[in-house]
Amino acid sequence: MYLNNVYKKRSKAGRAENVSGLLMAIIPVIGFVLFGLIPLVLAFVMAFLEIPGRGGRIEEATFAKLENFEAVLNDRMFWKSIGNTLIMALSLPICIVIALVIAYLLTKKIKGVKVFRSIYFIPYVCCAVAVALMWELIFNQSHGILNAFLGLSRDEAIGWLTDSKYYLPVLIVIGIWSGTAYGIVLYGAALTNVNSSLYEAAKVDGANSFQSFLHITLPAISPTTFYLLVTGLIGALQEFTRPQVIGGGAGGQGPNNDGLTIVFYVYRNAFSYDGTMGIAAAAALILAILILIVTVINFAVSKKWVSYD
Amino acid sequence: MTDNNVTAAKAAPSGYKIKNHSAEKAKRFVGKFFIYFALVLFALWILAPFSLVLVTSLKTAKEANSLDFHWWPQEGFTLQGYEAIFEFDLGSAIDGVPIIIMGFLNTLWIIIPPTVLGLFCSAISAYAFAKLRFKGKNWLFSLLLFTMMIPGTILLTPSYTIYSQLNWIDTPLPLMIPGMFGAATCVFFMRQFYTGIPTELMEAAKLDGMGYFSMFWRIMVPLSVPALLAQGLLGFIGGYNDYLAPLIYLQSPEMYTLQITMNLLKSEFQMTNTPAMMAATTVSIIPTIVLYIVAQKYFVEGIATSGMKL
Repeated sequence: MYLNNVYKKRSKAGRAENVSGLLMAIIPVIGFVLFGLIPLVLAFVMAFLEIPGRGGRIEEATFAKLENFEAVLNDRMFWKSIGNTLIMALSLPICIVIALVIAYLLTKKIKGVKVFRSIYFIPYVCCAVAVALMWELIFNQSHGILNAFLGLSRDEAIGWLTDSKYYLPVLIVIGIWSGTAYGIVLYGAALTNVNSSLYEAAKVDGANSFQSFLHITLPAISPTTFYLLVTGLIGALQEFTRPQVIGGGAGGQGPNNDGLTIVFYVYRNAFSYDGTMGIAAAAALILAILILIVTVINFAVSKKWVSYD
Repeated sequence: MTDNNVTAAKAAPSGYKIKNHSAEKAKRFVGKFFIYFALVLFALWILAPFSLVLVTSLKTAKEANSLDFHWWPQEGFTLQGYEAIFEFDLGSAIDGVPIIIMGFLNTLWIIIPPTVLGLFCSAISAYAFAKLRFKGKNWLFSLLLFTMMIPGTILLTPSYTIYSQLNWIDTPLPLMIPGMFGAATCVFFMRQFYTGIPTELMEAAKLDGMGYFSMFWRIMVPLSVPALLAQGLLGFIGGYNDYLAPLIYLQSPEMYTLQITMNLLKSEFQMTNTPAMMAATTVSIIPTIVLYIVAQKYFVEGIATSGMKL
């Protein structure tokens, strides 16, 4: 308030700055209000409406109290989708560890670092659809390459994508393949920023390289680990494309509905299944709350292990 | 390592000097060997699926569907897979244009205008937030930051409902219009960048009678070309690879983006012609990989800086 008054008292030039600043800054804010804030408010409203028809005819909607939430929470498939999503998210910690190890090895004085770096980053620019098709080639039961490598005949062939026993582990493997690139780049930048005098001090104190990695490197790059964990979890909880494209079973949800993620559940109810927009909105709201809780926990726990100095 | 060597050499009596030295050398050699081993192994793990796709795309359909796998096509190389996908069209609906080409052109048309315009809006907004003083600045910026926290999934159903009321379903508009206003993440990172540019530059320009827009256009933009390129490229790749939004909003095949045409190709070729499917996969990732190779520096910079700011 006080500052605003100061601005007001400033000269004509200050007023010009005020106006042009606002005009320049405002466009993305308008976009956010139109395409972020309004839908966000509507998302809360829709979760409490019964909206008939596929794709939803909002003009015929009626107030449904908590029925959508009851429908979602009583739906076995919703709980299964949460389980599937969490299992697929197991690729995240593995990705983080691999990314750290690889990024650390890349800091060593070796030849061809640039080439290795370029190769490791490629999965990041590949679309999820291509990645899914790529791995389908490998894991396919009847003519997949993995079965051929294992020397299995047609009768022994393993249905990696059609057998519930293998489906989720296979998706974790695919997640690991595509998920390391981002971490390698971020850790690469973080590792080069670690204060090198710390290492020298540790060496003088007689620490070996493993000890200095444990006590200097890890704490120094903990903000990056934390960032990867937070953004990675938010992304993993919204997994959709890979299982949707791979989908071994009918409709794409995999054997025994193992490929049904939470977003897939929302999508199916809203657009392709006999659910309703209201149920989809309720499920999406529950997912958003889940993401919020996970992120808050992440930030709370981070105080114990992330150091910003 | 080198320091250790020197201390060891200094501490040891001259007789042990050579022995210690070679032991160090051997240790270092073994260490290097393991590093290379790990790095090469990991590179193979990343590259293997690509080479499998490429080799399979060059096989005959019969060989690809057999149980055996050979790294070298036993029935010879053939481009039949590529021919098949470049011949596959939807008939008269789109004048016989192969759907993969149509999908690619649709993708470019849907992505490039919002990326370019959005980049401009984000950059100018970032400049205002970083360098100008105006009423409500902090409040507006927090509002923008709030956008970054909203998970996209929750906006799925309400956005669809709104676009449906606007009659935007089955048009590219839901994929294009929102992006034209700029992106909160982009504003955020460009603002960081502009904050780092010394204000003296602007003071000098002001004395020369430059307006706020010319300061942006003639000073800030030229200084931030690499950062803008990085953000633009990341935006482009994100749009190119987007799957869920086009899947929901585009219903007529003649509007499909490349990613969605892959579904059409899949239902056509999955069972009968694996090489064609792999040819389509190869073709679909070539543009992004080429772009990545050409502009690698900007990509990596864009990502590295985006991750440093939390």
